Amino acid sequence: MSIDRRKAALFGAAAAVRLLLFTGFPGLPDLLTARVEISTPVTSFKRLQEGLFLYNHNVSPYDGGVYHQAPLLLTLFTLLPDSATYPIFTYTLYILVDLLSAHALMKIAESGEAGSSKLFTSPRKDKKWSSFSIAAAFLFNPFTIATCIGRPTSVFTTCAILYAISKAVVGASFTSMLALSFAAYLSMYPLLLFPPLILLCYDRRPAKRTESLISFILGNAAAVGGSILSLLHMSFLITGSWEFLSSTYGVQLLLPDLTPNVGLWWYFFIEMFDSFRNFFLGVFWLHLSSYVGGLTIRLRRQPLFVLTMLLGIFAIFKPYPSISDTSLFLAMLPLYQHVFPLMRYTFVESSIVLYATLLGPAFYYLWIYAGSGNANFFYAITLVWSLGWSLLLADALFAVLRDEWEVERPEMKGKEIRQV
Amino acid sequence: MASLLSSGVLLRRNPHILKLPPYLSFLCVLIGVAWLLVLPLDNYSRNTYISENALLPGQVHTYFAGSDQNVFRGYKREIDALEDKPNIEVNDKLEEILKASGLKVARQSYEYKSAGQTYTGENIYAILHAPRGDATEAIVLVAAWKNMEGKLNRSGIPLILTLARYFKRWSLWSKDIIFLVTADSTAGPQAWVDAYHDTHQSPAIDSLPLKSGALQGAIVIDYPFDHRFHSLHIAYDGINGQLPNLDLLNTVVSIASGQMGIGVSLQQMWQHSDSYQDRLQTMLRGMMNQGLGHASGPHSSFIPYHVDAITLQPFGDGWQDEMAMGRVIESTFRSLNNLLEHLHQSFFFYLLMQANRFVSIGTYLPSAMLVAVNFTIMAIFLWVKSGYPQSTNSKTPSTVEAEEKTSQLNSSQKGNAKVITAEESSAVRERELLLPLAVVAGSQFLGVLPLYIFNHTPQNMLTPVFVSFAVANNALPYILSRTLTHLFNPTTQQYQLIKSFSLLLLGLFLSSLATLNFSLAFLVGLLATPLTYIYPTSSTSALSYVLKAVLALVLSVIAPTAVLVAASWSWGLSIEKVLTQAAYGWDVWGMNTQVVVWCVWWPAWIVGGVLLFGRPREETTKLNERGQESKAVI
Repeated sequence: MSIDRRKAALFGAAAAVRLLLFTGFPGLPDLLTARVEISTPVTSFKRLQEGLFLYNHNVSPYDGGVYHQAPLLLTLFTLLPDSATYPIFTYTLYILVDLLSAHALMKIAESGEAGSSKLFTSPRKDKKWSSFSIAAAFLFNPFTIATCIGRPTSVFTTCAILYAISKAVVGASFTSMLALSFAAYLSMYPLLLFPPLILLCYDRRPAKRTESLISFILGNAAAVGGSILSLLHMSFLITGSWEFLSSTYGVQLLLPDLTPNVGLWWYFFIEMFDSFRNFFLGVFWLHLSSYVGGLTIRLRRQPLFVLTMLLGIFAIFKPYPSISDTSLFLAMLPLYQHVFPLMRYTFVESSIVLYATLLGPAFYYLWIYAGSGNANFFYAITLVWSLGWSLLLADALFAVLRDEWEVERPEMKGKEIRQV
Repeated sequence: MASLLSSGVLLRRNPHILKLPPYLSFLCVLIGVAWLLVLPLDNYSRNTYISENALLPGQVHTYFAGSDQNVFRGYKREIDALEDKPNIEVNDKLEEILKASGLKVARQSYEYKSAGQTYTGENIYAILHAPRGDATEAIVLVAAWKNMEGKLNRSGIPLILTLARYFKRWSLWSKDIIFLVTADSTAGPQAWVDAYHDTHQSPAIDSLPLKSGALQGAIVIDYPFDHRFHSLHIAYDGINGQLPNLDLLNTVVSIASGQMGIGVSLQQMWQHSDSYQDRLQTMLRGMMNQGLGHASGPHSSFIPYHVDAITLQPFGDGWQDEMAMGRVIESTFRSLNNLLEHLHQSFFFYLLMQANRFVSIGTYLPSAMLVAVNFTIMAIFLWVKSGYPQSTNSKTPSTVEAEEKTSQLNSSQKGNAKVITAEESSAVRERELLLPLAVVAGSQFLGVLPLYIFNHTPQNMLTPVFVSFAVANNALPYILSRTLTHLFNPTTQQYQLIKSFSLLLLGLFLSSLATLNFSLAFLVGLLATPLTYIYPTSSTSALSYVLKAVLALVLSVIAPTAVLVAASWSWGLSIEKVLTQAAYGWDVWGMNTQVVVWCVWWPAWIVGGVLLFGRPREETTKLNERGQESKAVI
């Protein structure tokens, strides 16, 4: 009971902070919505409004090439009163989504999967944060709050991914796959989480089910495929044509909109000669997806960590990343608090990220408003930002591998090592 | 390879390396300051040059002379008669004159409220549509009715009217020309530019009934006397330390000194002998103006909108007449008229040390960065130090031992990964982060308080509020420190971490700021330098008390409030005047120097004070060897 009260207080406080920011500073939501660090072409709330307007006037929302988000979001937002006149409903929806994500995160933390999976138990597993602290770290993370106030639709993807994982850790493979399909339907890239997620489901499946891994995978892949297909068909029924496929997933795949963001793609593709474009699109996507196989195989014993790593990698290398993806990675990372002491450069990494967080808006200002800088300023800082996260990822990976290695070689515990 | 890596491992434990950072950070500050001081030398600064070839300064013959002088005299008589008339009446007359020249005229009234005062006025402007243009671009010629000192722009207003009439006769303009007469030098231009870009606060500020294309540049005439002048003074600082493109300045300098033979001076250096001292003084005055981020003339309001602008102020007693001034403007406008695109070729970040000598950002930025790096070095050092075991002095390994250890490295091959391990285990102490984070975050949030107070207090209350704040401010660190000791009794490590985080943030803010407003970052960095060297001590010897007293004195001298008092005393202004001006800057210009002072500098200072009066608790040595289980950090 007392735990529940604590949780209620936490959620209440988080909701209150967001509500205060929404209502106390009326200019803030629109200001943050316009920030390229928060809103990308495929998640922007402003673009959603445009799509909604067209949809409500019986024009295809994809006409005009502004709206690149899934059609079902339109149905969701038409159910709400107009966000310009009654913004409170939109605010409430976004706050609720954040709280749901936090709830799912608490479920993941409570399962203890991070410390001891089916195939591996960390010797440090007792030294972990409570699910309460992890949820608090997520809910009061400035990136999460800024994302919530900026209202990009990526929060729905975040929520769906966290639900997929929270269902997987309790072995509810079908629900998990359904949540994953939702995430994939909204943003496509979560489909790459399928391999580690299915392994997590397999490891955690109820004892009475004794099917082989292959048939398990096939069954669940069919479930994912089926649910995605039905979602797509629903979208087809709503919009009346299949053109949404190229306007949503096509945009993610082919990157026609080169609005700046915190990722690495936009600048690269601005500079590129058109003849190389397709080749490099292939290379970039291949690069992004190549991590899935490698990490899943190497860290077979800790699928949840593979998911965490992949979310971090997506936040750096996906075509339209935003700080919303970063906040999702930061939500998962504290689950591995027990290996933090094994990380070597946390201070440097967090300093780099902090520097980039401050310099990013400053350089964007110099480029866009003051006119005294140029695109290179902002791109340079997105490089630094990505470098910071890459270092953090590599360091976390090192820590987990070292943790595994110490189980094999207990005599090396506490020794200084260097990987050559 | 292996030995190289292992030496890296051992280097980290070298006790001599650990003693280095405080000296290193001090060295950074020294180099940073020295760097700035060598900039005026010939080897480090450059002669200015025109980057944008389209400008072609001084390549045209100027025809503003002869009969136009009679027109000027006529207008001047009209203006003299209007000297003490109210704004509206003045504008009625100006409208009549401008309409007689065949221009479209419009008016805009505005009202600003700041520190309990109301500032109202009405701007009047006329648009000359370019005979060869398509109204997509415009250049602005501005004259404020009253200049920054409140003096009537006695010759400037007649000159702008004469030029309006004169420019209208030419058919060569390819950009629209806007003639703007503002009621004052600070609020009027701001209201007009805001409204031109539709970012004004309606209904206090009217929208503009008449508009033209994108503004390409603005020239302000500030000519408040009616005798002949000697040389030209150019004011170029914008709000928040933003500067106009150097090409604009170069154009005017090359026209005035090259074509017209008029000397040019900057930063109120009425005499400039091209000596090191004069160059340095010009540069430092420029940095001061940039650091304060206030408006130095009506042109300042244009610069945030990426409209390059400068103010031309004739000064001294010489043989140049108002027609020469008019020709400078005519020639400048002919140059700007040539522009094919917005001024972008030349520098936006520069320090000028003379009208034709400058240093660019690449040369001067390292000095501010070095000052900021000093904080970061100490932050990293303290972080590392806070992780070291308590009783280091008992088992400090000597260098000889360290060398021996090189041979004790174990190298093991396992799969593809080759692993080298050192014999000695690396012990890292558990860091207790929660309290330090809370203290630093708390002091950051506290900064909003003075920011709000000083921007929202009415003018007549500013002095008493400031005095009581200054007194409270001096007592605050002591009180906070005592409260902290009483409630949490922090350990040495926690104090180290508090300092580490505070300095990290300071270094972070300052290096970001250095890219936006170099001078402010440098000045704040320099004033905050002593904070690097403040340690809490629990020693009770007489010496430590004396040291503490001296440090407390230093700390109260470098307090933002004390610096403010000293600065206003040296400028010969009252505190009330300075604070009113600051609040005015905040409300009207969107100046954000205050944010830096109260939300960057002041929190760091408070933390410095908390550290000085801190009494670290003797802690029981608690080691957390890597890999050893221990309780969670939070």
